[in-house]
Amino acid sequence: MIASGVVAYTFRWSVVSESIGEFGRGLLVTLELSALSLVLSLALGLVVALARLSPLAPLRLVAYGYVQIFRALSLYIYVLWIYFGLASAVGVNLSPLAAGVVALTALNSAYMAEIYRSALAAVDPGQREAALSLGFGRVRAFTTVTLPQAVRIAVPGLVNQFIDIVKDSSIIAIIGTLDLMGVANQLVSYYRAPFELYTLVAAFYLALVLSISAAATMLERRLQRHLA
Amino acid sequence: MTRPAARPDLGVSGRDLGSEILRVERINKWFHRGRHNEQHVLRDVDLRVRKGEVLVVIGPSGSGKSTLLRCVNFIAPPETGSVTFLGETLSLERLSRFDLRGRLDFERRLRHFRTKIGMVFQQFNLFPHMTALENVAAAPVHVLGLSKEEARRRALEELDRVGMAAKASSYPSQLSGGQKQRVAIARALVMKPELMLFDEATSALDPELIGGILDEMRRLADEGMTMIVVTHEMGFAREVGDRLVFMDHGRIVEEGPAREVLTSPSNPRTQEFLRAIL
Repeated sequence: MIASGVVAYTFRWSVVSESIGEFGRGLLVTLELSALSLVLSLALGLVVALARLSPLAPLRLVAYGYVQIFRALSLYIYVLWIYFGLASAVGVNLSPLAAGVVALTALNSAYMAEIYRSALAAVDPGQREAALSLGFGRVRAFTTVTLPQAVRIAVPGLVNQFIDIVKDSSIIAIIGTLDLMGVANQLVSYYRAPFELYTLVAAFYLALVLSISAAATMLERRLQRHLA
Repeated sequence: MTRPAARPDLGVSGRDLGSEILRVERINKWFHRGRHNEQHVLRDVDLRVRKGEVLVVIGPSGSGKSTLLRCVNFIAPPETGSVTFLGETLSLERLSRFDLRGRLDFERRLRHFRTKIGMVFQQFNLFPHMTALENVAAAPVHVLGLSKEEARRRALEELDRVGMAAKASSYPSQLSGGQKQRVAIARALVMKPELMLFDEATSALDPELIGGILDEMRRLADEGMTMIVVTHEMGFAREVGDRLVFMDHGRIVEEGPAREVLTSPSNPRTQEFLRAIL
């Protein structure tokens, strides 16, 4: 009576080796999605951070609004809104991959802007003063003295954000990208082996995130080497 | 160290003093801390410095000495008044916030102005992500536009002059306070400045390292460098300073030949200050 509705689950680990090639292709899509989003949000985040620190009040306001709006909602909403909402309302037809990159970039650049902003604020003002006293222009002082030090301070936070990008990119599968998660979903409905396949996809994400962490630790150590 | 007896046409230290090189006229500076908290830190300050002169600035903390120094090169720009250096006059007084062209022109002139004024800070402010050599070579490359090789050659020369050539490839975090300050001095000197500003250059140093930096400053003075020195080292002020100004509450309260002011101050506040620290 108790177990009446439960069918005994037979483990079929052979599907893992059969689908490993598909997962490999999915991995490439995940990497592409994450890498593009990372590069774009690193750049856009810096622009937004600079706007937030600008002496021009309207610019500060726009940047503040950007950060508040894009941090407020979840990626799930953004990706659906961009891919289905924008497409039907204004006719912007992005590929699933492009829509995913846009959604990931919008969300993560807002977080990164805040990471940059606090990192820039953490650089000793005496550094900029020393550069200016030597005759550096404002832009030169920023690019050669302030920014390199701010980036070193920002790296741990930015790495966390990158890990979020990689993990969150799995959500993009709902609009049909064939990334790791998309591949897993397809194969699950084909093989009917959800436990094995979702375990496999989890292992892929785990390996990916752990590799990024390891690389980041090395990078951090390298960058912090000479900082007091 | 023995020096020639003072002559009226020479500085007290016996150095030859040339024509006026710097003129600070009626500068005022406020610190704004919130809407209702304004602090008037410099009040109508005038200052003249002649070529080759060593001007010592002393006074209690909060008296505006450092701010005065930072106003000379506009690191802390004075709201009113002007600074004339080598014939070039800079002032923000009549420059509107919205005069974009005027501000760009001001910036350009200011950058040139600053290349001729070296500054040494209390906290050294070396760039931590660069080696000692890169610290000194940075401005020649990025400001003067010299080639990397030429900049490094000059930088090494300056490091050698302050006895730091052996540490050229060390990072600031690997150097002692005294070594950092020597590199900072070399970094300022590599630009061949006509005026050096020392903002409490020895205040952050361990006692045993102070003498070395003061010797370095004395050497510069003897080579004829024009210097404004904010310091608490009264021995240095007496021996190396030609002229001394005492500041209190944002004003220059007393001014005169360094030795004279230090031995027989005429202003009661100067007397009180010197009694308290000596």
